[in-house]
Amino acid sequence: MTEDVKKVAQPHIVVENLNLWYGEKQALKNISLQVPRNSVTALIGPSGCGKSTFIRCLNRMNDLVKNCRIKGKVLIENEDIYGADVDVVELRKKVGMVFQKPNPFPMSIYDNIAYGPRIHGINKKDIDGVVESALRSAVLFEETSDRLKSPALSLSGGQQQRLCIARTLAVKPKIILFDEPTSALDPISTARIEDLIMTLKKDYTIVIVTHNMQQAARISDYTGYFLLGELIEFGQTRQIFHSPKEKSTEDYITGRFG
Amino acid sequence: MELSAKVNETDHKPIRDGLSMGLNARTSEKIAFSLLTLSAMAVAGFVLIILAYIIYNGHSAISVEFLTEMPRMRMTEGGIYPAIVGTIYLIIGSMATALPLGIMAAIYLNEYAGENRTTWLIEMAINNLAGTPSVVFGLFGLALFVKYFGFGSSLLASCLTLSLLTLPVVIRSTQEALIAVPNEYRESSLALGTSKWQTIRHVVLPAAIPGITTGSILSIGRVAGETAPILLTGAAYFLPRLPDSVYSEFMALPYHLFVLATSGTNIVKTRPLQYGTALVLLMIVLGLNFLAVLIRRHYRQKLKI
Repeated sequence: MTEDVKKVAQPHIVVENLNLWYGEKQALKNISLQVPRNSVTALIGPSGCGKSTFIRCLNRMNDLVKNCRIKGKVLIENEDIYGADVDVVELRKKVGMVFQKPNPFPMSIYDNIAYGPRIHGINKKDIDGVVESALRSAVLFEETSDRLKSPALSLSGGQQQRLCIARTLAVKPKIILFDEPTSALDPISTARIEDLIMTLKKDYTIVIVTHNMQQAARISDYTGYFLLGELIEFGQTRQIFHSPKEKSTEDYITGRFG
Repeated sequence: MELSAKVNETDHKPIRDGLSMGLNARTSEKIAFSLLTLSAMAVAGFVLIILAYIIYNGHSAISVEFLTEMPRMRMTEGGIYPAIVGTIYLIIGSMATALPLGIMAAIYLNEYAGENRTTWLIEMAINNLAGTPSVVFGLFGLALFVKYFGFGSSLLASCLTLSLLTLPVVIRSTQEALIAVPNEYRESSLALGTSKWQTIRHVVLPAAIPGITTGSILSIGRVAGETAPILLTGAAYFLPRLPDSVYSEFMALPYHLFVLATSGTNIVKTRPLQYGTALVLLMIVLGLNFLAVLIRRHYRQKLKI
């Protein structure tokens, strides 16, 4: 395991001995891994294995959970994000997140995307450009350019999820976290999101939690396998799927359990 | 996720309660449906009966003169204009205090306060405030605003007393409205690098406005109808002029009705005036409720929920 970690060139995220407790229950046990820049890293594992908990440590969303305690280090661009002088709001600008259920705000398509930039004090005349380029990057512009003022909730599920991606892009993050982004979508919408994620890695570092092993195999460069709060195995996706080192990884990937 | 799926599975066990015991599903369904429908109809029925009764008895008293003139001849003739104006002042004054205070308190309790002793104490205080009889509020207002702060028997003292009385309603309905805002909105806003207050201000509050509005307007109904608190803090038995400052005494519809019906100079003769007053009061409250419906619909459409 340590070998794989060392192989990673230019790590964008470095996690060292991360432990997390919900009250008395330990949900993450001594996780260490490195996420390379401009790559897609998939986190797989059975339900309740801690992969969503883990990804929420990377933009400190777990701060919102009561009785959640964290020990260990998460370095993003060489800065410990759990350090005393870290501004969580600034961190979350840098590390965007797309959630499981498409959750646009109850506003227009345009306002959804302009929401982040407006709050961060964008120049009024620049908003149109930011909205358009975010929509184009999320491959949603063609479908919505004639109805930017209509409510975001009138879009289909897949479009809503791409809108949520566009909304995240508009804030210009460096890293995007995806927490099972396609589990609520049909196969065609899923395929479009997967294509989109693969294009996005040119400009962003991507970490995706997924239930779907085929998805991990299709889109990721690196894969981590979680079980019961532990990172069992982490490495290049090809290696994890073709020659896993751990018996338990192989069992999960071949569908013997999970 | 998985947890909730499991809970659902166990929930699917057929439930047998006392009512359906020994009956087949269709019969018990029919009985339950009839009982529930009947209850709903009964509630609507009572409202309609009260409304019809008051309209029937009160409509003859309603005229331009009744709505726009001062009472005359020891309140046996003339209009109820000062009482209408007084009630409207009470609504405006008490809402101007209770709404900002109540909404801000609710935001604090719902969005900021942790689960600790202080929060528990505040919640308890609100519950007790909600259960306090209105006459006690009246006495409290008399002691605090009229005497201690020296506002005298006045519009100001009455407005502040009524705002205390309606505070729990405003807080509770605002809290309900905030709880109803899906947590996903908060999470996805915070994930975009906004502060907690920015999230509340730009996402949570707009989504909660329909609920807050409805709750607030319902509390206005309560303000318009209360008698005991204003009786003790500023309402006048008879005052044929409008209040000229917040320190003036005033007339108000519910107290005027009470006076006409119990201690007026000629109770039998003024019966149509009593029903007329009741009708006006009822129309103000119903009108406000209707306004609440309109506002809620407007925002619902805007939010497309």
